[in-house]
Amino acid sequence: MKTRAGNLKKGEFVKYQNETWQVQKADFYSPGKGSAMMKAKIKNLITGKNIDYTFKSNEDVETVSVESVEMQYLYKDMENLYFMDERTYNQYSVPLEPVGEAAKFLKEGEKYFVYLSNEKALNIRPPMSVRLKIVEVEEADKGDTVSGAKKPAKLETGVTVMVPLFVKVGETIIVNPETGEYTGRE
Amino acid sequence: MKIKTSIQNLEKYKIALKVEQAIHEFLQKKTYLKVDLPILSPSLIPESYLEIFETKFRFFGKAKNLYLTPSPELFLKRLLADGTGSNYYLGKCFRNSEPSSKLHSPEFTMLEMYKLGTDYLKLANEVLEMLKFIAIKINNKTEIIYQGNKFNFLKWEKISVVRAFEKYALIGKEELFNKERFILKAKEKRYNIKNFTYEDLFSQIYVQEIEPNLGRNGYPTMIYDYPKEFAALAKLNNDGKTAQRFEFYIDGIELGDCYSELTDWEEQEKRFIDEARKRKEMGKTNHPIDKGFIEALKYGLPESSGIAIGFERLAMIFADATSINQLKLINIDL
Repeated sequence: MKTRAGNLKKGEFVKYQNETWQVQKADFYSPGKGSAMMKAKIKNLITGKNIDYTFKSNEDVETVSVESVEMQYLYKDMENLYFMDERTYNQYSVPLEPVGEAAKFLKEGEKYFVYLSNEKALNIRPPMSVRLKIVEVEEADKGDTVSGAKKPAKLETGVTVMVPLFVKVGETIIVNPETGEYTGRE
Repeated sequence: MKIKTSIQNLEKYKIALKVEQAIHEFLQKKTYLKVDLPILSPSLIPESYLEIFETKFRFFGKAKNLYLTPSPELFLKRLLADGTGSNYYLGKCFRNSEPSSKLHSPEFTMLEMYKLGTDYLKLANEVLEMLKFIAIKINNKTEIIYQGNKFNFLKWEKISVVRAFEKYALIGKEELFNKERFILKAKEKRYNIKNFTYEDLFSQIYVQEIEPNLGRNGYPTMIYDYPKEFAALAKLNNDGKTAQRFEFYIDGIELGDCYSELTDWEEQEKRFIDEARKRKEMGKTNHPIDKGFIEALKYGLPESSGIAIGFERLAMIFADATSINQLKLINIDL
């Protein structure tokens, strides 16, 4: 499928230099000299790298049809994350590299969306937030009232994030898996 | 399409108001005449890179086509020829097919000013003085902080288009002025060249590789002398290859576009015909060409230089905003 670059929208998948990229941002821009442009930020689905690229707005861009399918996360090894499509029991492996830091926040047995193109799993669609239990954290000293102060906490998936001092072991917190930021408690 | 009120923008909006006041104060001190202009016009200057809004005036079954002006140029230059002296307009302009984005809006505010008896380089000095004047009004200093970086208005960082292509895109002078070689170079750089002209590829490489580097060294950057294909209504330099045109940037954002104005009516008419033909080829809205403008040039446009500055973009810099929408109290996303 082809489209004019001027129609590109966030979330779409395109072929650029023979690789598949997801549009992270697409902003119209007219320099007033020559044709209008589409300034885009695109993410390579294989390497996970982001680049800025300026398309001419009337340039043909090949779009890639990518399905996002909800699957159960099974486990990971050194190279891949493994998922199962519960409708078909087919298993898919997603390479760790493009997933990046978000992989550390996935919980075995939970469901996540996986991007599939021609039956090949390219990446996961990182959830907006994940809910994870704290397994290790220091007790805050009484009288420590510095506002905004943080301490490290180990979560059930093994990853460590910074949390406010009032958070305790056993509590479930909400984290943005792309930035590792604490956003609240359950 | 929704109408949104954005009262959280009040602080930034008030800074934009101060920028506006400072501009009026500065230009009137420099004896530019402020002029209010029609927004609806029966004819326009043909510009191949702009699309326009068309509407109709109706009265007892008779209808007449009118166009929202994409720039005040056609009015201001007539007035120059008629003897107003240096003049300026600060008001709304309209450009169709330019969706809302951080730096674009189909309706926006333009500052366009013309100074008599001067060329683009001299007008650049006055623009710098105006930026300094605004900074002092807003910040009590000749500098401002934009997105964490300091910008001082005591001098320009100057770079020619030729030098910028050499430095940032590794494209030499010979390749820049030779269309075939330039297109080959673009192909080498893995740009899509199929069905694209020299002008298209120049703009693409300019936006992708040059612009992000401009206005990054603590001063506004003035980039000057564009290839003649981008002369628009500017005079050519003696080299015959470049036009007397400059643009200026802060933090990679284009803020203004200046020409030494073309006064030769025959050359102007030739460029009009060429632009009108391009518009037709591109399938853009057909509009009557403002012939009276050519008549005004025949009568005699005085030697002058003019600059168009995107007001919202300029105010955005002084208000430390990252999008022109952050200055507005009412936003409509198109």
